[in-house]
Amino acid sequence: MGINFYKRLFLLPGLLLLIAIIIFPLLFSIRVSFSSWNVSRSGLDFVGGANWARMWSDADFWGAMLRLLNFGVVTTSIQYILGFMLAHYVWQGIKSGRLFRLIWLVPLMTTPSIMAIVWRSIFREDIGAANGLLKSVGLSTIGWSTEIVPAMFTIYVAEIWQWTPFMFLFLLAGLLILPKEPFLAAEIDGSSPTRTFWRITLPLMAPISIGAILIRLIESSKIFDSIFVLTSAGPGNATETPTYFLWKRSLTEFQIAYGATLALTYLIVMIIVLTIVAKVLTYISRPRGW
Amino acid sequence: MRDRKRLLTRLAPIPLVVVLAACSSGGSDQGAEDSAGGGSDTAAAEGMGPGPAVKEATFDQNGLVDYTQQPYTPEAYAAAAKVNDGDDDCSYYETSKKDYSGQSITVLAPPPPNMGEPMAQHGAMFKELTGGDVIIENVSVGELYSKAQTAFQTGVSPYDVTVNFSTWIGDFGDFYYAIPEEYTSGTGSLATMLPLYKEIYKWDGETKLFGIDGDRHFMKYRTDVLNDPAAQAYFKEQTGQDLKVPETWTEYNLIASTLNGFEVASQPAGVPLAGSVEIMKRDDLMWSAFINRVAPYAKNPNVTTGFWFDENMTPQVNNPGFVRGLTEFVEATNYVPQGGQNFGLSDEISAFGSGQGIFSYTWDDAWSQANQDDSPIRGNVEAAPNPGAEEVWNSETQQWDTPEGGVNRAPYIAWGWSSAIPQGSENKQMALDFLCFFANEANYQVDLTIGRTGVNPVREESFVPEFWVEGLGWLPGPTQTWIDTLQEYNTASNRVFDLRVPGNGPLMAALADGVALALAGQKDPQAALDEVAQKWEQIVQDIGEDQIKEAYQAVIDLENS
Amino acid sequence: MSRIFKYAFVIFWTLFVLAPLSWALVTSFKTPAAVNQGATFIPWVQFDPTLDGWKDILGISGYANLIPNMINSMIITFFASLISVTLGGLAAYGLSRFRYGWKYYGNSDIIFFFIAQRILPPVVLAIPFFLLLKNLRLLDTHLGLILVLTSGLMPIVVWLMVDFFNQIPREIDEMAMLEGCNPLQAFRRAILPLSKPGIAISAIFAVIFGWNDLFFALVLTFTEVKTLPAAVVALNGTVTPFWTLAASAIFSILPLIGFVFVVERYLAKGGFSGAVR
Repeated sequence: MGINFYKRLFLLPGLLLLIAIIIFPLLFSIRVSFSSWNVSRSGLDFVGGANWARMWSDADFWGAMLRLLNFGVVTTSIQYILGFMLAHYVWQGIKSGRLFRLIWLVPLMTTPSIMAIVWRSIFREDIGAANGLLKSVGLSTIGWSTEIVPAMFTIYVAEIWQWTPFMFLFLLAGLLILPKEPFLAAEIDGSSPTRTFWRITLPLMAPISIGAILIRLIESSKIFDSIFVLTSAGPGNATETPTYFLWKRSLTEFQIAYGATLALTYLIVMIIVLTIVAKVLTYISRPRGW
Repeated sequence: MRDRKRLLTRLAPIPLVVVLAACSSGGSDQGAEDSAGGGSDTAAAEGMGPGPAVKEATFDQNGLVDYTQQPYTPEAYAAAAKVNDGDDDCSYYETSKKDYSGQSITVLAPPPPNMGEPMAQHGAMFKELTGGDVIIENVSVGELYSKAQTAFQTGVSPYDVTVNFSTWIGDFGDFYYAIPEEYTSGTGSLATMLPLYKEIYKWDGETKLFGIDGDRHFMKYRTDVLNDPAAQAYFKEQTGQDLKVPETWTEYNLIASTLNGFEVASQPAGVPLAGSVEIMKRDDLMWSAFINRVAPYAKNPNVTTGFWFDENMTPQVNNPGFVRGLTEFVEATNYVPQGGQNFGLSDEISAFGSGQGIFSYTWDDAWSQANQDDSPIRGNVEAAPNPGAEEVWNSETQQWDTPEGGVNRAPYIAWGWSSAIPQGSENKQMALDFLCFFANEANYQVDLTIGRTGVNPVREESFVPEFWVEGLGWLPGPTQTWIDTLQEYNTASNRVFDLRVPGNGPLMAALADGVALALAGQKDPQAALDEVAQKWEQIVQDIGEDQIKEAYQAVIDLENS
Repeated sequence: MSRIFKYAFVIFWTLFVLAPLSWALVTSFKTPAAVNQGATFIPWVQFDPTLDGWKDILGISGYANLIPNMINSMIITFFASLISVTLGGLAAYGLSRFRYGWKYYGNSDIIFFFIAQRILPPVVLAIPFFLLLKNLRLLDTHLGLILVLTSGLMPIVVWLMVDFFNQIPREIDEMAMLEGCNPLQAFRRAILPLSKPGIAISAIFAVIFGWNDLFFALVLTFTEVKTLPAAVVALNGTVTPFWTLAASAIFSILPLIGFVFVVERYLAKGGFSGAVR
């Protein structure tokens, strides 16, 4: 059997299974976006590009998309830095490393929607733990969900708590498989740990870092549970994100056709943005002569 | 250059499938055909299921119904009074003559305690009496609508009974099986339901909802604060007026803002006292609370063309009456508890129940919570109709009217729990028998006295205080005020009802979005509501103006009754 | 100096991780009244602990029993993860070693195609997947949910494993093939043993993401196959029972902690350079 047989044997089972599962939902979403399926009219008529035109001028939707710059980009960056620090510490070796490693992974194991309710019980102003602690040390309490800065803060805290372990584990995987030679060479040269980190570890980690950042960008752009429970998109609409917007249109109002249009728009925008981000990150982290 | 190609190749699958989709569009619309709700006349005969076999009664006629001796006894039922079985068609005795062994129905219900608990309790007993299985799928309150709607829209029918909010009838009416008249008349278990609610549970002239609850929004106020001499003196000093139960929203606001943070001796320890506890969280039923704030300013007894729309289907949500209500709702953010601008219904109930506010004004839940044995404000809460207004907008003459008697009242008959049998159910007879058993005299009485079941008074016999004082050990004084309030709502004219039309969901969501922007100070009330009106016009276009207008006429008839 | 900072940070982070969990644990022993009357932290001193929250989720009080749901979750998570790690791992190896594609559509685009499956939030896929499973008669079945979950888990595995295989020097496969192995044998005998950390991490991700999927489980099942997260969320009634939900939050991570504890030992420091010779 030729190499081509094996080549296909590796890729095709997974790829075809995936396509088989997603092809109908994708086709259906595209088809339905050209229909007028809504709560009082289920079915696939054809209304041309009406939904697409409406999407184009839907200021609320695009406002929600812009908020991803805040939620997606900022939380991912913070998670990357914290996750890298933790992974690097474990990789270098710390006392009771395995215990810490296990504890740090626990947040990832909690179910986001249930954890969001726990966060609500922490940040609810009247009976929550956060204000309870503030009161017990004599500080004034904070309107966690009703003022915009604290509201953002609580969502950040919930997201960073939950997802930094993902970065940590992903990056730890990368660190564990780094080749040894460059580090041995650096040791022989008498390079300082800081210098080794910036000159060797970080560049070698570039591909896996980009992988981790991209997947977190994808995931954190879908942020929903913490916003739904903690602020209900408020105050006003200050924390309304695309997923939240899509959820309301699709599953609470059953604007199926329009929801599908928005979803496809979101998909296209994300593909474009992620491709550009990947390019930019690769460019920044390209090997320099040194 | 290469980058652009990369981008194009990644997007390539999308146009490709557009083409494919266009080709396949003929074949992929299965979901639609089966789901267009068939006419109920023809469906009446279909899917009734085999029905019960007849067997020997296993329950004594008029026997004692002891909830502690039933297969499932949650704590609340263990403490419930024992009652005698009734004489209605679906009493324990009558039900025990039906043999449903080998059959089962599936019920979609919210989790315990609200509705979920009585469903589980009576479902287990139904099985013991008839041998038929009642399988319950619990989903959170927020998922109930989408769970049922997903099934209806795609023509799947996993449920024989769905528990729902009665305000969804505009979206669901056509998917429901019409309840035969024998259940709402004669010795049927719903026979004594107030005519008002019988009307509410109809859609297109047919009873589509099996009414197991009936709701309205009313005011709860703290007597220990309003009767506190220090508070009275302080209020007099600050405002020059006497402290009394508010008749209008102006008075309500004045008391709430003046006494916000006031310290009374009877206040539960460590709990700050705010003026008012309200539902202000955008996607957590806030729209329903907001209606109370608007109703007396915008529901004019002399206008017969509608509260929500005028006769040209122009939305009224941005008329001066609505703007006035919203302006005061925005001011209320100054005297709610800390975080109160983000309170949903759950938070409202627990916050008022733990003594955080002088006033609250939505469903019965906060009332029940305040009357529970472990409530820190038990005995200090009374009920009254929601406040009225000194002026009311007239949308026909486009000016403010001064109401007769000085105060315009517009009670809001808010939606409550109800249940229905989907057209697609294959075992409608069993579903009917179960619901009818659920609502029989004994079960209804006991569920009523357990505040947390979500079953609230809706039948003629429930509006007597003894029922509550003896049944649940409620205090006579407060109970009397509550009964009086409910009675007033039952007989009032100039009432406001939910917008029971197709698209209630999107319409109310748009309203809540606008109100939330105003509450957060991102828009002023007029601008926020103008935007809502604009969105409403769009939604009416999308859903179909004629369809909404026709459905709304039924609401107008209720409003003018 | 940096040592002090390092341990200070490690301790700070550990406390931050543990804080909400301990709050959930404390809350799970409270009565409704104790929750509603303001924040308290120390059992026995500030409030009288009760087991009611736990009894409510373990079927003792008749309120809810999450154990059958946990078993459902285990079955679904196990099979979805198994399929994802196996097929995803093979695909990743192929993508790391061979060149696929058609004209401009190359390996990196195929990899991107995999990960792009995660872009769309489940809320918009709910109805299409519902229709798909309806037509396949797989609504409310384990198999249906396993298939749908696989489409979400496999991309993560591929995305992680491609980078991982790229780090394993090609000389290893080449040597194996020189010794007469075909590519599949080379993969199994030479690469697989070296890939334990990668497989372990992929498995951890697949299991955790599969376990915590709420949305598909919520929409695509009715009564037969309720998974744990869907059952827990269904406890949230008109008044949020913080005590019961806190107990459920702790309860539902227990099996995962066990799983991660077992698998995590494979995460040893590797470095493949030594393996070539």
